[in-house]
Amino acid sequence: MTIAIAGNPNVGKTSLFNVLTGSRHSVGNYPGVTVERRFGTLAARLLDASQGTEPLTFVDLPGTYSLTVASEDEAVAFRTLTGTDTEAPSVILLVLDASNLARNLYLAQQVLELGAPTVIALNMVDAAEQAGLAVDASQVGETLGVPVVATNARTGEGVEALVAALRSPPPAPDPTPIASAPQASDLAVAAEAMAGVTSPQRARWLVAACATEQLELARPSEAERQALAELPEGLAMRATTQLVARRYAQVDGLLDTLGYAEKIQGRAPTMDMSAKIDAVLTHRVWGLGVFVGVMALVFMSIFSFADPLMGLIEDGIGWLSTAAAAALGPGLFTELLTDGIIAGVGNVLVFVPQIALLFLFLGLLEDTGYLARAAFLLDRLMARLGLHGRAFIPLLSGYACSIPAIMGTRTITSFKDRVVTILMIPYMSCSARLPIYALIIGALFVSEDAWVTPGVDRGLVLLGMYLLSTVSALTMGYIYKRTILVSPTPALVLELPPYRMPRFGNTLLIVYDKTKAFVRDAGTVILAFTIVLWAVLSFPRDATGAGGDGPTVVAKSWGGEAARTLEPALEPIGQDWRVGVGILGSFAAREVLVSTLGLVYGMEADEDDPVQLRAALREDINAETGKRQHTPLSGLALMVFFVYACQCMSTLAVVRRETGGWKWPAFMFFSMTSIAYVAAFIVYQGGRLLGWG
Amino acid sequence: MLRPMLSLAQLQVGDSAEVVAVRGQGAIAVRLLEMGFVPGSKVSVVKAAPFGDPLELRVRGYHVSLRLAEAARVEVAR
Repeated sequence: MTIAIAGNPNVGKTSLFNVLTGSRHSVGNYPGVTVERRFGTLAARLLDASQGTEPLTFVDLPGTYSLTVASEDEAVAFRTLTGTDTEAPSVILLVLDASNLARNLYLAQQVLELGAPTVIALNMVDAAEQAGLAVDASQVGETLGVPVVATNARTGEGVEALVAALRSPPPAPDPTPIASAPQASDLAVAAEAMAGVTSPQRARWLVAACATEQLELARPSEAERQALAELPEGLAMRATTQLVARRYAQVDGLLDTLGYAEKIQGRAPTMDMSAKIDAVLTHRVWGLGVFVGVMALVFMSIFSFADPLMGLIEDGIGWLSTAAAAALGPGLFTELLTDGIIAGVGNVLVFVPQIALLFLFLGLLEDTGYLARAAFLLDRLMARLGLHGRAFIPLLSGYACSIPAIMGTRTITSFKDRVVTILMIPYMSCSARLPIYALIIGALFVSEDAWVTPGVDRGLVLLGMYLLSTVSALTMGYIYKRTILVSPTPALVLELPPYRMPRFGNTLLIVYDKTKAFVRDAGTVILAFTIVLWAVLSFPRDATGAGGDGPTVVAKSWGGEAARTLEPALEPIGQDWRVGVGILGSFAAREVLVSTLGLVYGMEADEDDPVQLRAALREDINAETGKRQHTPLSGLALMVFFVYACQCMSTLAVVRRETGGWKWPAFMFFSMTSIAYVAAFIVYQGGRLLGWG
Repeated sequence: MLRPMLSLAQLQVGDSAEVVAVRGQGAIAVRLLEMGFVPGSKVSVVKAAPFGDPLELRVRGYHVSLRLAEAARVEVAR
């Protein structure tokens, strides 16, 4: 039997799901949308409690405040619970936060209106008790007319009793009636108009979906659509207002019975402690200071922890490659294995430390309630762009690496806004651009007549690249939001939950899920790209045989040939075919530019300190003109090219996963490459006009 | 006698009031109602964010943040 778990965000719904399923769960998407769907079977250690032979399957619905179809999340919850896309669940497990019943009972009211077998887990009873809001589960059960089990998802308390309750499913209750609307009220008029077309319950959901202007997400039938279209202007909204008010009136009645109402009169007992913490954390001065500190700490830890791990992975891959080459001897198959397959696996695995660390930190910050505060603090800035405060952290993460940053955009509810954010992220200068900037600045910005001192000059050039990337990301976001992805600035209706201790176990599960999803979905694409790229840069092979002469193989390869053919297009941006090959090779990952250029110049270039390569670039003389091939101006043009170019197949693979198709990654690649070319052109030609070249 | 209508966005930090209605229509209006801004609910303004917007509000025993633009849609009476 299938059990769908519904509940508000921040009520411990996913914790409970994790306790119920152990680690026996998988993550996917709901059909047709990028809303995460987690499902799993009952954990082995709970099998005794279940005393049944029929397996229990759990589906974790998106956390929603309501089932009224207003966005994809609610639509998925609504359609799953009413069995629109798939079979309806056998039992609904509704998770309520005992310390926040005044709002949680609204969703309870809606779920009970569905008239499906329901069991309620009254979670966070400990937090409620601490806040002086203790409620008795059995009393809540009597009041609502369905089984209620007190649970603590953090300790696992009450879970056995919950499983037992789910195993002996209660009979489907009568749909809790909405106190009948007065004659001639808008609600009654709407109900009348829909009578005969659909059931009274479904009619209410559809009318509400009309009021939110998201009717299609509720999947109406043709007859329903027509009946709704004939409702008088504004009736749906007025009827929905009355409907919500009626539900809340019912909730207020329940709160009175439970003796809960007076305790929250004009105050929020669960927030007493949090309000004191927020006196600092959302303070207009200290709050921003703490935020900058927290983010600096997160990014520094990512760099300092991920770097050695990435080094280890690269060393391991290098060792594996050498070992394979030694074992198999030179040959085409060996090259395919080492430069294609093993390198491809390396290209996938090298992202794992950054993804894991970023999601570890984000998970812990989310769990404590701090991420909601971060969105609160910075919403003003994001709102100017037309985005939600939640978009800030993924954008910021783009400075570290686009891959986890793009995966982090899932918290943005509106699909269009998510795409805007995804399109902005690769403009942020990620850590993989740093070796490129370092190579070019180190090789070409060594002028004797420095403005200040050579060191400061170089620092300023680097800072300039970061500024350019930030300004460009913001500008592009502003443009996309107003051209191809037009939508109103999403409303901010952001719950600021009480601060809580983070749960490591839960966060690690999220980290595991995210990493696994990346390796599985994006990994295959990255592997395939690496093999293709290897082939392009190593075929056709000359008669002299494989291996040996690196530079000639690359130069004569299809890639080298293409770069030569394209040289007329590279000249206006101050580059030659060698750099062209480097740009092609760096599609695997930007920092590969260094090693590919090394290959073209016929040397082993150490990525960390390519002394030889820097000298070679500096001293390269153009045969035709007799002048230096690479000047500070051409170097600047190349750096500007890399600020804008989407030279990262892994980014494209992740964008495909997050947007569910090749449309957006293709757009991203072509738009960014065009902008990169034009910008490099302007820099190089403009610079020459000004006499700098 | 007609009282001038007051919106949530016009309240000062520390003020409390009672919700009278949510203006307008569409998903945001419905969302505001469902988050507890129904007629009769008591609301207090707890704090404004560093740049003056959004607001932190207390309603029905919990805290929620709204931008001034959305808060302006909630009519209140002191």
